[in-house]
Amino acid sequence: MVEPGLALLVFAVLAVVAAAVFWPSGGVVPRLLRLARLDERVRLEDALKHVYTCQRGGHVCSLESLAGRLEISRARGALLLSRLADMGLVRTGDSGPILTETGEQSALRIVRTHRMWERYLADRTGVPAGEWHDEAERMEHALSTEQVDVLDSRLGHPRWDPHGDPIPTSAGHVPPDQGLGLIASEAGRAVEILHLEDEPREIYNALLDDGLALGVRLEVVDRTDRAIRVRAGGREWSIDPVSAGNVTVRYLPEGEQAETPWTTLLAARQAETVRVVGISHACAGTQRRRLLDLGLVPGTEITPELTSAAGDPVAYRIRGALIALRRSQAEWIRIEPRAEKEVA
Amino acid sequence: MAMPAASCGGCAEHRAQSLIRLGLSPEKWDILIALAGNPNVGKSTVFNALTGLRQHTGNWPGKTIVRAEGAFAHEGKRLKIVDLPGTYSLQAGSADEEVARDFILFGRPDVTIAVVDASRLERNLNLVLQILDITNRVVVFLNLVDEARRHGIAVDAKRLEAALGVPVVSGVARSNVGIDELIDAAHRVATGDQRTTPFRIASHAPVVEETVASLAQVVDDAFPGVPNSRWVSQRLLNADDAVIDAVRSGELGQLGDDGDAPEPAAAPDGVRTHVLEAAQRLRWDLPADFHDRITERTYAAAQEIAEGAQMRGLKKAGFDFDRSLDGLLTSRWLGFPLMLAILAAVFWITIEGANVPSSMLAGLLLDTVHPWLKGLGDAVGMPWWMNGFLFDGIYMATAWVVAVMLPPMAIFFPIFTLLEDFGYLPRVAFNLDALFRSAGAHGKQALTMCMGFGCNAAGVVATRVIDSPRERLIAIITNNFSLCNGRWPTQILIASIFIGALAPARLAGVVSAAAVVGIAVLGIGMMFLASWLLSRTVLRGEATSFSLELPPYRPPRILQVLYTSVIDRTLIVLWRAVMFAIPAGAVIWLISNVTVGGISVAEHSVVWLNPLGLLLGLNGVILLAYVVAIPANEIVVPTVLMLTVLTASVASAGSGAGVMFELDSVGATGELLRAGGWTLLTAVNLMLFSLLHNPCSTTIYTIFKETRSAKWTTVATLMPLAMGVTVCFLVTQVWRLLAA
Repeated sequence: MVEPGLALLVFAVLAVVAAAVFWPSGGVVPRLLRLARLDERVRLEDALKHVYTCQRGGHVCSLESLAGRLEISRARGALLLSRLADMGLVRTGDSGPILTETGEQSALRIVRTHRMWERYLADRTGVPAGEWHDEAERMEHALSTEQVDVLDSRLGHPRWDPHGDPIPTSAGHVPPDQGLGLIASEAGRAVEILHLEDEPREIYNALLDDGLALGVRLEVVDRTDRAIRVRAGGREWSIDPVSAGNVTVRYLPEGEQAETPWTTLLAARQAETVRVVGISHACAGTQRRRLLDLGLVPGTEITPELTSAAGDPVAYRIRGALIALRRSQAEWIRIEPRAEKEVA
Repeated sequence: MAMPAASCGGCAEHRAQSLIRLGLSPEKWDILIALAGNPNVGKSTVFNALTGLRQHTGNWPGKTIVRAEGAFAHEGKRLKIVDLPGTYSLQAGSADEEVARDFILFGRPDVTIAVVDASRLERNLNLVLQILDITNRVVVFLNLVDEARRHGIAVDAKRLEAALGVPVVSGVARSNVGIDELIDAAHRVATGDQRTTPFRIASHAPVVEETVASLAQVVDDAFPGVPNSRWVSQRLLNADDAVIDAVRSGELGQLGDDGDAPEPAAAPDGVRTHVLEAAQRLRWDLPADFHDRITERTYAAAQEIAEGAQMRGLKKAGFDFDRSLDGLLTSRWLGFPLMLAILAAVFWITIEGANVPSSMLAGLLLDTVHPWLKGLGDAVGMPWWMNGFLFDGIYMATAWVVAVMLPPMAIFFPIFTLLEDFGYLPRVAFNLDALFRSAGAHGKQALTMCMGFGCNAAGVVATRVIDSPRERLIAIITNNFSLCNGRWPTQILIASIFIGALAPARLAGVVSAAAVVGIAVLGIGMMFLASWLLSRTVLRGEATSFSLELPPYRPPRILQVLYTSVIDRTLIVLWRAVMFAIPAGAVIWLISNVTVGGISVAEHSVVWLNPLGLLLGLNGVILLAYVVAIPANEIVVPTVLMLTVLTASVASAGSGAGVMFELDSVGATGELLRAGGWTLLTAVNLMLFSLLHNPCSTTIYTIFKETRSAKWTTVATLMPLAMGVTVCFLVTQVWRLLAA
């Protein structure tokens, strides 16, 4: 019979080795996989995408910006550009590299893959918003055109990625940019957020923390060189010009207003009938559709009727049916605040 | 068929194709009826009332996942009826919605019956309005009017009919009220005797309307015969693949459901491409919350229609039973104790009640029929090996499985189904959701877990009520941690021999029972652990969506429940188990009787498996028994006993090589096992391993059928096995370390 102490020791060693090899963040296998990704093709595709982004933004990119973006030396960046030129994807213009027709199509394919994957993560998975971009950076080099087309059809041919950027169609069609910068919008107008730039990450996260998201409707109260003051949902706050530069908005047509004050469904008391104002923009994809299908549209009356033995979920009376919703879902549902109701 | 085949060009052919695509057999019928509706509005009950079939119905949203079909005759015509999955909408956002929508649109039913729950009119009308968008041939069946009346709601069918523009029949499907009128109305609409003018939303929100209207114009020009160009435009703007394909192929022009009009000529290629290009271009003009706006508009219309047709706040019949019962069953203090009491009662009734019929069946099948069959084999002059193979091998294993499995299932499932029919089970899910959520799972998993105590295969099938893919997968993979009734007898036997013996005689029963309950509780713990691990590792990124509707309580229909739960759950599962037991019986007999070098294959295997077995605190016999008994846990103990006799050469017991047996007395079984080298450690490990090992092959097969994925089937098979091996290994080594 095997000596038990020895057997346990062997087991412990095996367990440690297995963890060292396969542990998701620091394991040998995941590390090797990450290294393998940073190959030449990936660099070339990233460079192509960078040239496209510059062009889309209306300027020609410099070697410095390319080297900085890809975190490589300038010599290496120049090498990449000449490889791209050899492949017929860019040509050298007066002030820097310009995409050829084929180059633009290739770049659009990469952009399409990136934005489609972000859409997929937002709609069909539980991956947190902060991780979408990095995941998509990885997947844009891994998916074939056919796979993206399949995904496109599974997702119901989405038009926009979760940041509000248009997803190029399979034919390579992208609509012209719409909207204007929040920084340029007039005081006193009501606007809707069309796009939030997701890079740099710090500014993006700060904007999200500020309660900004796609589709949020704001009123621009005041604009100075130092800050832009906005109001939404009964709250007023300032956004610094740098952050505001990363927000694209459109003016709302006459008769549509910035968000009125709201509170979440969690604030509703047992057996109190409240009126729904809307569903948070953070709730997207299947989850949003499900809530809408249950009848949670603006104006719907909803009554907390039954609390489960553990306190969560709570069952609500919605259009005659008794539907249990978890706390995390109730948090998405916005209702008219009580104070306003009493005044009215 | 309403449409004469001659006037329809290629449409009959197209129709047959569409149906094949949908998995329908293109047999003959005169009228094709689709049955649509929200989950839990009694669609299946209507289906049963119409066809006389006994489809399983439960007070539980999301029952019909696979489409059921039936047929009946009316006034000399054959009517075929297809029960579509219950959905809240037809926006093709989920697989169910896609199946329902595709059938209504491309399956081209002659009439669609929309079943509506009278007490949830608004929510139901949302779906009805979407159906009316697609087709003119609709009859609305206002079901459960009695229940609505009990809740103080009355619906005026005539007004509803006037508002919707299609026939509305009210009734109560479960007591066959209104079914004849429904058939008449469906017949009139299907044959075109009654023309309908379905309600359609006139205009959407301004931003949406502009785009929809301009595309509708393009569609109208290209396909003049299309019944609802606005709906087609809306779907094209949503880039609905099925509708795009229908435009591209010209099929759309043939979907006009106006039977008498001449078939429009297919639009030329250029025109069709033009429509698609226009749609593609116009899409970008729509606001991002386009879908929200459409739903808002539909609900606004539904609310208006419902308010015009229903009277609320009537005097309620009796006191508000539902509310009081819910208050009690979900209360903070009484909710959990009541639930535990009810579940404990179910298990007690099952285990106690199954004892007598089980031993009667065993007596009949094993002690009477088996010798009789052997005798018969001898009488007709069968060679010994054929007699042994057929009756000792195959018959024995099958009989064993039936005797052990049938009685508890025939008791457990009907009781469970009664609770389900009454509406209690969704409340259990409601109460337990918090616990399951912390492990990343769905509250409804509580029920599939309980079902697993009856039979894991049935538990896996029951996960269909979980509508979120990630949570459903977790429930499927972890169902095996519920100690199924095939494993209870093993646990009880081993516990009474080895664990009960540790305690003084008068406490032996209690101690061994506690050990078995301990194992079951450990299983529940492992289920939570595995769910938690899965949801944080391999299933981390999967989407989650929670929804749980608490239906009103409904008086259970006892006779029907008995009938359907015996037919549906018990017999189907039993049949599968028997199919898997047959080869197992054959293998067990063969390995014990085929010899290599004078020693049977079984003995070779036992010797070969013994070192691994000892490392895990088990032995070669047990491991071999688990390998050959993959098909059914029920035959593990008989196989272990047979193999022990074979290898330990205990001459006094057994019925020969390859003949499974059990001893009448627990004491004698214990002596035999001790003679085979068993210790207390072996017993503990066997109990652990019996809980933590791969699912039986019936369950593995069911998991594959439900997930359609070799990957997840493999995970579900190997994960518990790996856990079992690890746990047994650690227990054994630590035990030996401490004992030394």
